[in-house]
This record gives sequence, structure tokens and C-alpha cells, in this order.
Amino acid sequence: MTASLYIALRFATHRKRALLLSLVGVVFGVGIFICTQAQTQGFAQFFINSTIGSNGALVLRSRFQPRYEDMVVGAKSADAAAARRNYFEGINNVSEIMRVSREFSNVVACSPVIRGTISARAGFETTTADLYGIDPTSHLRTTDLAKQIVEGQFDDFRNNTTSVIIGYRLASLLELGPGDTIQLLSPGGEYWRFNIAAVARSGVSAIDTSRVYAHARVAQRLLKKSYQASLIIYKLRDPNRAPELGAHFENLFQHATQSWQEREEGNLQIFSTLRMSAAITVSLIILLAGFGIFNVLTMSVLSKVREIAILRSMGYRRADISAIFLWQGALIAGVGSLLGCVLGALLTWGISKVPIHIRGLLYTNHFLVIWDWRHYFWATVLAIVAVFIASYVPARRAAHLQPVDTLRGSSL
Amino acid sequence: MKGDLSLTCRDLERYLGEEEERVHALRGVSLNVEAGSLHAVVGPSGCGKSTLLYILGLLDKPDAGSVEISATPISHLRDEELARRRNELIGFIFQFHFLMEDFTAIENVMIPMRRLGQKNESEMRERAATLLESVALGDKLRRQSRHLSGGEQQRVAIARALANDPQVILADEPTGNLDTNNSQRAFELLANIVREREKALLLVTHNRFIADACDWVHEMKDGRIIASHPHGQRILV
Repeated sequence: MTASLYIALRFATHRKRALLLSLVGVVFGVGIFICTQAQTQGFAQFFINSTIGSNGALVLRSRFQPRYEDMVVGAKSADAAAARRNYFEGINNVSEIMRVSREFSNVVACSPVIRGTISARAGFETTTADLYGIDPTSHLRTTDLAKQIVEGQFDDFRNNTTSVIIGYRLASLLELGPGDTIQLLSPGGEYWRFNIAAVARSGVSAIDTSRVYAHARVAQRLLKKSYQASLIIYKLRDPNRAPELGAHFENLFQHATQSWQEREEGNLQIFSTLRMSAAITVSLIILLAGFGIFNVLTMSVLSKVREIAILRSMGYRRADISAIFLWQGALIAGVGSLLGCVLGALLTWGISKVPIHIRGLLYTNHFLVIWDWRHYFWATVLAIVAVFIASYVPARRAAHLQPVDTLRGSSL
Repeated sequence: MKGDLSLTCRDLERYLGEEEERVHALRGVSLNVEAGSLHAVVGPSGCGKSTLLYILGLLDKPDAGSVEISATPISHLRDEELARRRNELIGFIFQFHFLMEDFTAIENVMIPMRRLGQKNESEMRERAATLLESVALGDKLRRQSRHLSGGEQQRVAIARALANDPQVILADEPTGNLDTNNSQRAFELLANIVREREKALLLVTHNRFIADACDWVHEMKDGRIIASHPHGQRILV
């Protein structure tokens, strides 16, 4: 143990109340930082997982006509940004695109979907629904649909082409359940009758309120679509690289793509803003703790002026004196961060058990949290930086005290 | 360097304060302190005794003149180097003992050794205990320094000054805060150690009896040494 660390420990332990106050600030700052980040990111992650689980990480959509931009001579008045692609609805060469797509290492699975907006009717209730015509086998590999079933059986849907799976909130709205019948209105104006095989809950309100899954061939005929699929959805190993893969697919297949980041941009911005806001608010607690530590250490320097002069007279260097007070700060930061991490974990666990009733953007019955080591890491880094800044000024001040001034003053 | 060490200053000039309050504290002071000798600096308050002591102890720098340890000029050295020499070569004793209040007697004595870093914990503890026993405090090693009497505290300060076996001991009125009996005992202790261990002692004192017991007495007035005389004599300079 260095001389400075030894003296720092002695100084710190002889000012227990001040040390405790400083520690409390850091512990609560770190703990609350971890807890709020776990919550805000927990809700965001739940939303991301749900939307990727239902709609895929990447979607390939309509074909577009290449513009051969390299060959276009730009007019002086032309607004290049205004130039738009010509799109052609639907995907016809589905098998070929899927075969090539599967060659990409990031692609886990892909599934074609034929999609259209229809009216759904049950009893006297009618509502607009989003019909997804799917191939049950490939869709099961690509999405979390099987896990989202809350009533009924997925196999009942798979084995019966006249059956559908409907969203949880849509089922509530139409007061339907497995075994009931739902009527879907085709663009030709005729109602088709389907049995409800299962009810699915993705947790994302927009999906649960409108989604109806039917068999692809049935849906194609109901929607009177000439093409095989409206879109192909992809499950990726690394969903964060969806935009890059999407751009590559656009060039390769001449079809428009949309990553989950683009699709959910608005919602993600809300979550990001909330998370940032919480982080700033909680950082203020750590900042306040930093001010507290600054005061405690400044008072400590003022009360130890004589001891500093003695140490200097015994050959302690300025750097040693500075280290004594920096060590005290490090002690507060280290112990405070450690206890803060424990408190943060306990708070996160406790919060995750608190029942809430959210039926808006998300569906949940309790607080959603995420366990991420990075929350603990950044909370600790934040605390260490704040405490170091708070300790640096008093430490520097202590190091530059002139021992002769103190000794001379005391000997007069 | 040990054994034949000498501490010398030549033509020291030192100004204290700033502008209108500036005081010419030392005016061309020269002094030579050799191993095994006791030097007393006497004079009225404010004559520059303590200022001289702090410069010789490398705690302060002169505005002019030089300080040499064994003929090596050291005034120009960087703060870190001065601190190292202070730690290795010089032991300080102050009037108000200046012990670390939160530390025990033995911990106080170990503080200079911790900085030197040449001994492990048990060796430091053993040496500190030996030093405290030599100043008759062997039974109070683990007593908080604030719970010791004034005389005991000053003896702890003497033990602490000897912790790194320095060649020079500088004492600023070491008995100034003690009663007559304790003053006499503290000085005798210090004098014995200096003579037995061939160290140099320079002490600032107002106590005439203590000054007369030293090998050399230097009288200061208005920042100058006006007289230096060996034991029993008086020579004007």
C-alpha cells in the first residue's frame, strides 16, 4: 500500500459522516441511473423484439424500375431529389429471390407474405383489418407467431386452409375466440367466411388491433392479387445490420426494402428521447453527488492544512499530497459505484415486479426491464468521472499549499 | 553522504510578504552545521530564525544565496528532489509538535518511513517501536496522539524526526510549549541522540539555558547573525 493511499484511508475513515454522505450520493446516483436505463431500454427492447418478431427485421417489397442515374444528364433547374422511382406492385419471382437471399450469412430465414387491407365482420361489428397471407411453415421460421399465440393452436391453422389467426385486440373488439367465425370482405364485395384457429398477441398495439393471418393461396384469391407476394420478410442474425443488407438487396433484386429501423423510426425516436431524458435527469443526481464530494473534500483540505504542512516537512511531494485526496475520491467512487450497482440491480429487479396495466403502444402487465452490463459500466464511468472532477480541484489545492505559510503561522 | 554530512548556507537573502508589507527577513546569513554538533539560533521574535530554519530544511527557497548539503548546492533543485532529500536527510521538530491527531504514536513515527519506502510494514513498525522506547514511550505506542500529554507528544515528534535516520535535525523552538522540567528532558534526549549518533542539530530557541548547552550559539537580529560563539564563549561577527 502506498503512503498516500494509507493516509487517504486514515483521513477518510476518520471523517465517517462526511464519507457516508458522499457515498450515499454516489450510491443513489448510480443505482437510479441503472434502474431508469433498465426500464426505458426494457420498454424499447420489448417493442423492438415484438415488431421484429411479427414483421421481420427486413422487408423486401415492390419492384422498381431502375433509373440508370449514371446515364442521366442533369438539367440545371432539375431537382435531383425530386426524382422518384417507378414502382410495380408485388413480387413475382419469389422463389428465386428467397433462394438467393438465403445465401447471405446474415439471413436466418425468410417468408413471403401477400398483404392487403380488408373489412372484417363478426356479428354486428365491422372493422378494418390488415390481412397477411402466409406460408405457415416458412412464416413460423421467420417470425415469433407461434410464441405469440395466446388462445387456440397454431397447428389448427396450419392444417386448415379456411382458418385464420387474428390479433388479440381485434379479437376483443369483435368479441371472437378460437372456434368462432369471422367474415372477411374481398375487394369484389363478397364476404368470405373463416374459422378462427387461434388468437395472437404480439404486444404491439398496432399489430394486435388489425392483424389477420390467412393461408397465402387463400389470401391471394381473396385479395384478387395476380402476383405471388406483396413482401418478403426476413429474420436476420444481426438485426442491427438490416439497413446495410436492405441497401444491398435493393441493388441486387431491384425491389424496395425497408429495415425495422426505418419502419419504426418514429417510435424508436420516442424511446430514445425518453431514455436520453431519464439519463440526463439521473446524471444530475450524480452531478449533485459530485458537488457534495467537492464540498466534503474541500472542507477536508481546509481542515487538514496543518497535516499537509507536516507531511510536506517530512518529505512528501506535492504529488503525494494530491494523491491523498484523489485516493479519497477514488475510494468514494469505487465503493459508491459498487454499492450503487448492487442497489441498481435490486431496484431493477423490484421494478420488474411492479404490476402496471399498459394497453397502448405496448401490451404489458408489469414493468419491462432489460439486464444489460453496459448500464452498470456507464453508470460507473459517469460516477468515476464526476468524482474525479470533484476531487481534482481540492487535491490540486492541497498540493499547492505552501507548508511554510502554515508552519510560520502556527509558530508565531 | 552519511557521517560526514555538513549543512551550509551562504549569503542567504529572503524577503517575506508583498509590496508595502514586504519584510527583509534574512540579510546575508551564512552558517555551517557539521555532523555531531549542536547549534542554537537565538534572537528576538521576527528576527528571521524560523525563516532560516525553513530554508535550511528545504521547505522554503532563498531569494539570493545558496544552501549546500555536503558541498552540493541544492537550492536550485526541483520540488520533488527537495522533498526526497528532506525525507532522507532532514528531521523536523516543531514547537507545537505537529503530530497527526488521528494517528497513534507509532503510526505518527511511521509516516516518514512510509514515504521513504525502504522498509516493509513490520520493519517500519519495529523501528518506530524502538524509537518510541528510546524516548520512554514504549508503553504508549498505540495511544492516539491527541491523548498524550504535551511532553509525550513532543517526544513522539522527536522519535518521528529520527524515523529515517536523518543526518540533520532542525528544531523550531522544540521546548517552547513545554514546562521547565519537560523542556529540560526533551532537550537532553535530543542532545544525547545527536551526540551518540553523530547527527547535526540546529535548533531555534528562546530558552537561554538550552542555547548555552549547545556547541554553538548564533545570535540573530533584524535578519542577520550578529554573533556566533562556541559553548561558553562569545565572539562578535
